[in-house]
Amino acid sequence: MSELTISRRGLLAGSALLLASTALPTIGFAQTPKKGGRLIVAADSEPRNLNPAIVASNGVFFISSKVVETLAEASFDGKDGLEPRLALSWEGAADGLSVTFKLRDGVKWHDGKPFTSADVAFSALQVWKPLQNLGRTVFNDLTAVDTPNELTAIFKFAKPTPFQLIRNALPALSSVVPKHVYEVGKIEENPANNAPVGTGPFKFAEYKAGQYYRLTKNDAYWGKDEPYLDEIIYQVLPDRTSAAAALEAEEIQLAAFSAVPLADLERISKVPGLKVITKGYEGLTYQLVVEINHRRKELADLKVRQAIAHAIDKDFVVKTIFLGYAATATGPVPKNDPQFYTADVPTYPFDVAKANALLDEAGYKRADDGKRFALKLLPAPYFNETKQFGDYLRQALAAIGIDAEIVNNDSAAHIKAVYTDHAFDLAVGPPVFRGDPAISTTILVQSGIPDGVPFSNQGGYRNADLDALIAKASETLDTAARTELYKEFQKKVAADLPLINVAEWSFISVARDTVGNIADNPRWAVSNWADTYLAG
Amino acid sequence: MNRLRRFFCTPEAVAGAAILASLIAMALAAPLIFPGDPQAIAGPALLPPFHDWSLPLGTDRLGRDVLAELFHGARTSLAVGLAAAAAALLIGAIVGTLAGFAGGLIDEVLMRVTDAFQTVPSFLLALAFVSIVGPSLGVVVAAIALGAWTGPARVARAEVLSIRERDYVAGARVIGMYPLEIAFREVLPNALPPVLALSSVIVAAAILTEAALSFLGLGDPNRVTWGGMIAEGRTVLRTAPFLSIVPGVALVLTVLGVYLAGEGVVESTAVRRSLS
Repeated sequence: MSELTISRRGLLAGSALLLASTALPTIGFAQTPKKGGRLIVAADSEPRNLNPAIVASNGVFFISSKVVETLAEASFDGKDGLEPRLALSWEGAADGLSVTFKLRDGVKWHDGKPFTSADVAFSALQVWKPLQNLGRTVFNDLTAVDTPNELTAIFKFAKPTPFQLIRNALPALSSVVPKHVYEVGKIEENPANNAPVGTGPFKFAEYKAGQYYRLTKNDAYWGKDEPYLDEIIYQVLPDRTSAAAALEAEEIQLAAFSAVPLADLERISKVPGLKVITKGYEGLTYQLVVEINHRRKELADLKVRQAIAHAIDKDFVVKTIFLGYAATATGPVPKNDPQFYTADVPTYPFDVAKANALLDEAGYKRADDGKRFALKLLPAPYFNETKQFGDYLRQALAAIGIDAEIVNNDSAAHIKAVYTDHAFDLAVGPPVFRGDPAISTTILVQSGIPDGVPFSNQGGYRNADLDALIAKASETLDTAARTELYKEFQKKVAADLPLINVAEWSFISVARDTVGNIADNPRWAVSNWADTYLAG
Repeated sequence: MNRLRRFFCTPEAVAGAAILASLIAMALAAPLIFPGDPQAIAGPALLPPFHDWSLPLGTDRLGRDVLAELFHGARTSLAVGLAAAAAALLIGAIVGTLAGFAGGLIDEVLMRVTDAFQTVPSFLLALAFVSIVGPSLGVVVAAIALGAWTGPARVARAEVLSIRERDYVAGARVIGMYPLEIAFREVLPNALPPVLALSSVIVAAAILTEAALSFLGLGDPNRVTWGGMIAEGRTVLRTAPFLSIVPGVALVLTVLGVYLAGEGVVESTAVRRSLS
């Protein structure tokens, strides 16, 4: 057995090391970005199709927004909340029939070919308009893109299209893909969808299923001195509890999109060397919504819907399910939206007695067992919080005599059950607000949407007034008048309750404190990370 | 009487019986001690155990009473375990008796089907079945029974093969009983004891399978299950480990209790056999 000896030299060396380690955090806070380094990030899903021009969703953006760039990115202090990326400026015509983009000069694709207006025209007409989940609505009236020279693209619309909408759509919908790669063969089957080619600060290097995605530095990037990082690795960690452990073990340096469970944040915020960041998701607000199937005769009755709204304790939901990392909702536009939100809508304070009275009034008396009627409740399986809210809603409904039976499905089965088969009475859904109600919000209440379109009104709700309002807003060019119409829209939705908005939440990042320039724009996790660096 | 005394001679059997008895008491008393919905929100969320004596084991992430959930979870675990084992024994005994008694082609076919079921891991079978049909209590019971009937079928067949050569079976044939009548009235009852000896193992396995299914989110979402409780506690494992530990311990004790009591029964009957 060896003896434990303490030498003077060893002790000195040890204490020097200790001293140095206390000094480390201060070095980390130095504001001069350092070049080089490999950033390892937790990824909780593995999208197959990585083409953000086709699949405009956060799971895809998280990886491919570093490779494929958009015309403009969201910004905290830029004009209209935007900052230039591939486009330097954008101008809408007074008649709403065209928008002119001036493009950045000297940009090269990762394969060395120059980026030109032809790529923008190709992306808009061949990809965004016909193929993209969100672009189909927003660019529906786009008829042509004129390219008078290599650095100018003029979008032509068949009908007057509000410039405000196009502007708000730029950060999420305008990923530009290379024409020379995509013009041969079917766009949906192009191999570049799995190994994207773009103009971004990082090149796509490799993907190992179940293990990682690797991006490497683009030395020919247009941004001065950017990017700072040499490599980004997306380590696949499907288990949410493992992200926190991996951060603590320094196996990863960043876990975005609330990969660390909310309940763990308080503990992890006290771990030295880790920081919890709540900023950087302002442009990605998720809404916790109770979707309603209006085909059920009970739910077609406004009084019943009001009763359900009164039965939900929104403060409890925010405090207990979201542990305070959320806000209560008043209507279909989140409170943190700077352009459209209005608080001047009918509200439904938590009031069980009133809810019971409303149900009695509607003619659904309690039977001898205390129950009025039974419902099927389908909580969306994508988030822990949507599942927990399903459990809570079942209890809240029990308090007013509605017997809700929870039906659990996996993601694919849930989407089919709710949006294609309409086999639900109530569903809990997490739609996303994308900076403009016309992008993905009005579709939640508008009628006449074909079966099978996910995250749209599949509850059979039909309100001619609201439909007319949505149609009018979609062709109102004046920004102020258009904003006013959407305020009216919020009032009408809150009054008629085609769905019930409960809360709004965003995500949390946890990072080692050596990671710099985190959360410097409202869509940071899905932006290009050109200025992100690793200190120390 | 002797047998009972012998059963209570082994300390393992006594421990097993005690655990089982308290478990059954828990399951029976659950609606009396904790009337109403065990999933109702009873207090502040994530209350640690032994802080508030009205909620002795604390509360989960939504503020539901963990003790109430534990009691009602015992009902689900026991109900599923017993029902699945009963179904498995029933199917197994019938298939085994038919195969053993009929012999020939019927035997071949039934045993190859049994082989087919035995080669597929029973948990995978249950997983696939529940994800296709959709989770509910009946489906979970069927799914577990689907993977568990092969053992009893093989034992029953082996037993029937020896019994069918006995004189009283030949006698029954002579007095003109129908073959099926002989199989199920004369042969099966005598072949049953060794098959029933398997029941403790099957019940224990069924309880574990049910917990595993619930843990993966494939249990009945409208009932409290221990597996579901463990799964829900997992997201807060570092901050509130008791949420997973409490139902986990209950699960371990239950399986242990069932197994020990079963062993005790087998031991006491075995002793009697060797004595006689």
